[in-house]
Amino acid sequence: MDFIYLDHAATTPLRPEVREAMAPYLDEAFGNPSSAHRWGRQAAAALEGARASVAATLGARPPEVHFTRGGTESDNLAIFGRARLPRPGGGRPSIVHSAVEHHAVLEAARWEEALGVRRRVLAVDPTGRLDLDALDQALEDLPAVVSVMWVNNEVGMVLPVPEVAERCQARGVPLHTDAVQAVGKVPVRVDDVPVALLTVTGHKIYGPKSTGVLFVREGTELAPLLHGGGQERGVRPGTQDVAGAVGLAEALALAVAERESEAARLGGLRDGLEAALRARLPSLVVHGGGAPRAPHVVNVGIPGIDGAALVAALDLDGVAVSGGSACASGATTASHVLEALFGPAVGTRAALRFSLGRGTLPEHVERAVEATVRAVERMSPA
Amino acid sequence: MSGGVDSSVAAALLVERGHDVVGVTMKTFCYSETPAHGRTCCGLDGINDARRVADRLGIAHFVFDVEEDFTRDVIDDFVAEYARGRTPNPCVRCNSNTKFRDLMRRGEDLGCDAIASGHYVRVRAEPEGTALLRGVDAGKDQAYFLWGLPKNLLPRLVFPLGGLTKSEVRRRARELGLVTADKPESQEICFVPTGDYRDLLDRRLPTRHPALEPGPIVTLDGAVLGEHSGYAGFTVGQRKGLGGGLPAAMYVVAIRPDVREVVVGPREALAVAAVRVAEPNWLARPPRPGDRVTVQCRHRARSAPAVVEAGVDGDLVLAFDDPMTAVAPGQSAVVFQEARVLGGGRIVATIGANVSASNR
Repeated sequence: MDFIYLDHAATTPLRPEVREAMAPYLDEAFGNPSSAHRWGRQAAAALEGARASVAATLGARPPEVHFTRGGTESDNLAIFGRARLPRPGGGRPSIVHSAVEHHAVLEAARWEEALGVRRRVLAVDPTGRLDLDALDQALEDLPAVVSVMWVNNEVGMVLPVPEVAERCQARGVPLHTDAVQAVGKVPVRVDDVPVALLTVTGHKIYGPKSTGVLFVREGTELAPLLHGGGQERGVRPGTQDVAGAVGLAEALALAVAERESEAARLGGLRDGLEAALRARLPSLVVHGGGAPRAPHVVNVGIPGIDGAALVAALDLDGVAVSGGSACASGATTASHVLEALFGPAVGTRAALRFSLGRGTLPEHVERAVEATVRAVERMSPA
Repeated sequence: MSGGVDSSVAAALLVERGHDVVGVTMKTFCYSETPAHGRTCCGLDGINDARRVADRLGIAHFVFDVEEDFTRDVIDDFVAEYARGRTPNPCVRCNSNTKFRDLMRRGEDLGCDAIASGHYVRVRAEPEGTALLRGVDAGKDQAYFLWGLPKNLLPRLVFPLGGLTKSEVRRRARELGLVTADKPESQEICFVPTGDYRDLLDRRLPTRHPALEPGPIVTLDGAVLGEHSGYAGFTVGQRKGLGGGLPAAMYVVAIRPDVREVVVGPREALAVAAVRVAEPNWLARPPRPGDRVTVQCRHRARSAPAVVEAGVDGDLVLAFDDPMTAVAPGQSAVVFQEARVLGGGRIVATIGANVSASNR
């Protein structure tokens, strides 16, 4: 049996160009970029080359690009780093985020709230509209940070980050955006959109795991989470992973260069998958189908069918997808994103997410449809 | 697959026999809420152990969240029984509901034909239907917990360990190099990992529920001997927790929830002549009044000869040849014919051999 991977929103395989770019830094070019000698200079050159590349790709300046160890770390840094600053004019700081953020933003925000920071959540409707009136109201309070993701990982919805960024900038409030699922799928440039903080991770764009970037626009203050040797301008100290940074830079550059054609190709495959599933399973619901979406994700639900069992059945039939949200035990739990978009009435455990990628071919889509229909028919009450 | 040595070896034996096996661990409640999770089979460590064993055996493994159903079928019942002054048996409830019926449904979803577990019991195809029999290892036999299985599931259940002893199973586990070979047995209820169920009752019962409120400790004659701090802390046959200074050895004979009384008496008062069993579940043709059977009223207790009295449909009454000691309402009465489980049910009342005290 050929196994088909349709879970690219969870992670992606390393591309050959990225592995090639990283290879020297896993081998003979092993130096610490902070060292004064030739090994150090070689490593520093590679690191700074990677930084310049990321900056150019995103429309940023190199000093604004900080390498971290992943998306969660960058998100946490953005939230904690802003919430922990003393509020100008005194009083308790506040933070604002959308109702559909990734756990890396949500949990950081909750933690701060437990420590006394005021937290405000902005509703998002199933068509992707964010409550902009609530945002404006929240901005009156001059929150330490507003966090709105660019593309939602569960349903693929594109959120109105440019609009939100304009409003935040007008009030002098920093906007953070988790762009982890957005880069390489929709245009993401910080010289076009006035975000103050932006998260990228390598492993969603065919780069290495445990690599990430936090863009911090010049003039945006940030308290660090880690303290140590001062690397990455003190924003993220610790000996840098040069190979990782080089790999991430290469992956990002390729993803953005290929974005337009790849987005068209993926969008076509995704629309085909969606249409075929709708045709064969009339009761199927597409979560977020009414919103602008990134081209690679389709999240569906079939009333009465247990999502976790469906994911398992598909796996046994050779098709890898994901459902809902996973908790530490590995069980599928209810999705806060679906609940926020559709309310608790929707079977939040019933979600099935297909996310396509570079290696996805039309025959993979066909097999996925057949496997899904087979499983649903077996699971449907007679 | 709970992550324990029994389910691990059961899976291994099935793989050895050439079956197409899928390992499933059921997450019965959110382990991150409890402080002492992970020591034995049902905590997060258990799930991870199950996953490692599945990987070692080369089989797929999934974790299914059954918290909602488990809470309704097992935990809510546990709390309600203590509130009624009875001693619940949550493992029986789990086996009767979550573990087999719900698991079978998921197995069917995955296209499976049968469900297997590491229980020490046997099934045998017979002309009149599949029989459920005790495991061969008398010290490990778990037939007592399975009286509530839906009868129609029996033909599709597989128990690889029923014909083995526990020491044979551990030996096989070591031979197979399973990480769980020397894991200690799980003794606690999976949703009460600390062993202190009072905290759970406290959280789930309404504030100031009588079961957790102080009340009198009384004798069979009605004399008040002292005070207890909540009848939910007592079970029939218990000797501890009654406070010092009691005349002679006193045992809990009954609990009267409506007046919050814990009734104590001498050992002779624990003798039970018969039990009344509610809504029995039958795994074979139900016995008729007058039939002779053997009955087990506690795990790790001998089963004793008894006669089925009137009332097989609805409440069942089983009369022992010789009085049985310390039978707690809420526990299961399981009816056997030699090694075969005929069925069983929840004990709702005991009829004392020496005294008239009974608890409904």
